[in-house]
Amino acid sequence: VNGTKAVFIGYLVLIVIGLVYFTALGMAHQ
Amino acid sequence: MTAERVRRVLRENGLSLAFGAMFLVSLAGQALSGVAAFNEQQLSTGGEQISLGRYLLSSSFAADVAENWQSEYLQFFLYIFATVWLVQHGSTESKQVGEEGDGSDKEQRVGRYAQPDSPRWARLGGWREVVYSRSLGLVMLVLFIASWGAQSVAGWAAYNNDQLSTRQDPVTWADYLVAPDFWNRTLQNWQSELLAVGSMAIFAVFLRQRGSPESKRVGAPHQETSSDTS
Repeated sequence: VNGTKAVFIGYLVLIVIGLVYFTALGMAHQ
Repeated sequence: MTAERVRRVLRENGLSLAFGAMFLVSLAGQALSGVAAFNEQQLSTGGEQISLGRYLLSSSFAADVAENWQSEYLQFFLYIFATVWLVQHGSTESKQVGEEGDGSDKEQRVGRYAQPDSPRWARLGGWREVVYSRSLGLVMLVLFIASWGAQSVAGWAAYNNDQLSTRQDPVTWADYLVAPDFWNRTLQNWQSELLAVGSMAIFAVFLRQRGSPESKRVGAPHQETSSDTS
């Protein structure tokens, strides 16, 4: 279960980092 | 961690890990082809060439990735919520006709019907149960809204870059939200997701994939709706 939880959290972290990064990029270019 | 345990974790999470790896490879491919396409266009318009590193920091790259993310999360959000209330007779992607709705507490094993190994929020009742009961769809909805928001901001910056390079006035974010560019980027992704989901729901009635949980058993009749009734 711990390995599975790590994959779950890994996906969430990856997605959140991506969303923050893309939003910040857009804002930085204004 | 022993080699044995690593192998077990890899096997037990093979589906998620394989798709995660394919995602990273595709994203790298998108970045490489994206910078090449960008530079090709720059060449034809007399603009300066940029490096991969600079492309990864560009609003153009951000908008291209985010617009695809939002449509995927919209697809899953809609599918998760729509399948609560809408059914497709004969499809593995659907509940049986007559089972529309969110089910009884007993069926769902929540509140007093929760079992000792049920998730904590399913046992607690109250607002936590209400939230946890919809957490899969809600997370998809939040990711959809966040990625659509990211697309709008990055797309707006990319649009203004183009405006400035052609000596036109930049627009405000509110203006961009009603601009054809924003809706063209948005709807070209939505239409493909909706077509794929709709066709999957109906194709699963008549077509089979031996061994896949997305399919009925090969010999199951077309009118059988749920794969676990066989």
